[in-house]
Amino acid sequence: MADTPPSTSPETLQDRSPSRPVFSWRRFIPSPWTLLALCISAVVALPVAVVLYSITQDSGDEWAFLAEFRLRNYLTNTAYLALGVCTASAIIGTTTAWLITTCDFPGRRILSWALILPLAVPAYLAAYAYTDLLQFSGPIQTWLRERYGWGRRDYWFPDLRTVGGAIFILTATTYPYVYLAARTAFLEQSACTLEVARTLGRGPLHAFTSVALPLARPSIAAGTTLVLMETLADFGAADHCAVDTLATGIYHTWHLISPDNLTAPRIAAAQLAALLLGIVALAVTVEALARRRAKHHQLTTRFQALRRQRLGLFTAPLAFLVCIIPVVAGFAIPVCIFAHMAYTTTEERALEIAIDHGSNSLKLAAIAAIICVTLAVLIAYAHRLAKGPLTAFAARFASLGYALPGTVLGVALLIPLTFLDHRLNDLTHALFNTKPGLILTGTVFAVLLGYQTRFLGVALALLQSSFQRVRPSLDDAARTLGSGRTKTVLRVHLPMLRASVLAAGLLVFVDVVKELPATLMLRPFNFETLAVRTYQMASDERLELASYSALCIIALGLLPVLLLATLLAPKARRSRRILRGSRDTLTAPQ
Amino acid sequence: MTDAPPEPTPPPLVTVNDLSFAYGRGPTVVDTVNLQLHAGKVHCLLGDSGSGKSTLLRLLAGLERPAAGSITVGDRTVSSANRSVKHIKPEHRAVGFVFQDYALFPHLSVRRNITFGMRHRPLRERKQAALDLLERVGLSDYAKAMPHTLSGGQQQRVALARALARDPKLMLLDEPFTGLDTVLRDELRDVTLKVLRDAHVATLMVTHDPAEALLVADTVSVMRNGRLLRTAPPEDLCVLHPRPKGPPSVRLLDSPLKN
Repeated sequence: MADTPPSTSPETLQDRSPSRPVFSWRRFIPSPWTLLALCISAVVALPVAVVLYSITQDSGDEWAFLAEFRLRNYLTNTAYLALGVCTASAIIGTTTAWLITTCDFPGRRILSWALILPLAVPAYLAAYAYTDLLQFSGPIQTWLRERYGWGRRDYWFPDLRTVGGAIFILTATTYPYVYLAARTAFLEQSACTLEVARTLGRGPLHAFTSVALPLARPSIAAGTTLVLMETLADFGAADHCAVDTLATGIYHTWHLISPDNLTAPRIAAAQLAALLLGIVALAVTVEALARRRAKHHQLTTRFQALRRQRLGLFTAPLAFLVCIIPVVAGFAIPVCIFAHMAYTTTEERALEIAIDHGSNSLKLAAIAAIICVTLAVLIAYAHRLAKGPLTAFAARFASLGYALPGTVLGVALLIPLTFLDHRLNDLTHALFNTKPGLILTGTVFAVLLGYQTRFLGVALALLQSSFQRVRPSLDDAARTLGSGRTKTVLRVHLPMLRASVLAAGLLVFVDVVKELPATLMLRPFNFETLAVRTYQMASDERLELASYSALCIIALGLLPVLLLATLLAPKARRSRRILRGSRDTLTAPQ
Repeated sequence: MTDAPPEPTPPPLVTVNDLSFAYGRGPTVVDTVNLQLHAGKVHCLLGDSGSGKSTLLRLLAGLERPAAGSITVGDRTVSSANRSVKHIKPEHRAVGFVFQDYALFPHLSVRRNITFGMRHRPLRERKQAALDLLERVGLSDYAKAMPHTLSGGQQQRVALARALARDPKLMLLDEPFTGLDTVLRDELRDVTLKVLRDAHVATLMVTHDPAEALLVADTVSVMRNGRLLRTAPPEDLCVLHPRPKGPPSVRLLDSPLKN
């Protein structure tokens, strides 16, 4: 029979096996799934490559002009903006998260989710609303003048069209990123660590600064990095506040008209884009390094939820005020302004315009969401099938597209696509004597490619984490039951994760509806979306016409925010499970 | 040899030849294993955790490819380290696998879990076949239930029925009875093995419980550090240890072999 005597000396596999394979190249060829994942992620590489290539090109006098007159302004404004928004967001986000997590005061429960509402308002819409409210002819200043009989020069009023104004608007709409990150971090902290600090003679405030804050620092840093990304990428708000940043500079340089050299401004824009991309890459790298170090933070295994402290007569209203001001500033005021505008507008076309462009937006967003989710599923599944460095690289690389600012993406895609369009036309002209026109840049292809590059990471992040929750034995079971790899993902993973798939689609969908700069640059001629139309109306000082469109964007933006809010709610186990996409009490390790 | 059979046995259904395997560049987890499995017989693989038992099952199912050696079913080589021999994918093997965690699909009802592997049958036969299988494992009333509403023992029986649905020639059981209480466990083991013997299936069952192995198996293999130390009928293994010392598995593995 099959008796094998125990061996005394351990041998290696290679020494002994008689049927050991001869060297075979097939070992080094990745599987079709891995190749597919690499191909998809390569799409992100295209814009980066284009932008980097532009550095080597000659943009004539344009760059010299930029460097002499504009660049310094762009850089200082971008730096002030980034610094101001990040500092303010970090302070507001962390303070409110700490109050909500550790204190008890009237309205706390509602505020705990209301604080993320400003995520539904894109920064450019807040900018339009606030300038409308605070401008010289706006209601507040008019009222002040009538009430006190002041003239034009008699009083000082804050001017929104400054760096300070842009900082205010971007902070009001992006602080929730820090709030969310800090709140989750505080929720995960055990009361034990804080209580130890208290017994060691630290007061509540001191315990916060010496224990809770350092423990939550990696999360707060991650949230602040998101804010930084949004700020660097922001086009609409800065543009409307007349603050020249790198992102707006790229857009305006692209549209410069140079009398002698038509391509020079475009190359200069691409070179500016390379500069912005460098800054973004630096930020991403610093954050990644910081996160790697933060892995050493280990919490105690004995977890005890924080107990909230009831606030007193004086402190409770104060905490309430601190938490409600960001919600009012970032959400309530812009929404009220647009709602009031929509209610009182005499423009009958406002609703019509919203419906017209709304259908464009919805179609575009739906197609983009379907493509993004499909590609994300392919990458996530490829990573599951082959947990090697190749698929991990593909997944990480594909996620980086989210860091590409919209104007950078616009420039980086328009240059190669225009080139390809022309070559295609040359080719068909030579072969068939016809010119099909602009197939790539004249259709939604370009803008869809842009969305795919930018939002694939959003879908991927969500799907990867939900794929991880499906136990590997389910894959094996499906395989031994006669279902191949493709069938397994269709019959097992997708049905199990359908809620996550839907959630990923929803996130992409809403991001697409809100997206302004890339859409503005990449859309086909005369193709208007809600965001683009709102931008145009605001630029023309006819915001009333876009009031319904703005409200539509905000309403759609509320969907993922509500999803997040249900996730954060303390009794959200049920909805959390629904989001996870299955009755997966079974999929969790028992 | 102690394990020489008294009468000439039919040729083995599955033959494992010098099989070795390592995950990536890690240590060797299955080390030159030789094994023969016979139709209608229950073969137990006994060993502590980390001894490579489950990996051996995965190799037999085709979920992993061997680094050395081969697996033959009948006269067909289904796995081989030799890349010129075609690796039969798990979905194309007549192998049933019952996983330690049962691995029922949480989004499908019990009946649809069982029909999952029946793609080879016409659509209208599937439902009846599933009901027949459920009756065999004594769960006729649960066809429409969702897996998470079932108890552990019921889930195990569904997993067994599901694995049988493809009429496998070889059944692989990965510690199928751990995590169940003792009474249920004995009952379930009898049902399971009776069903398998009736279906004339070659069964390879992994366990770390020597009592279980000795009780139910026709042949027992003791595995440690990826190697098969000994393969023998259970009565031969028992005879060796008249005076047990220490926990059973240690006894089986560490006592000197007397012939």
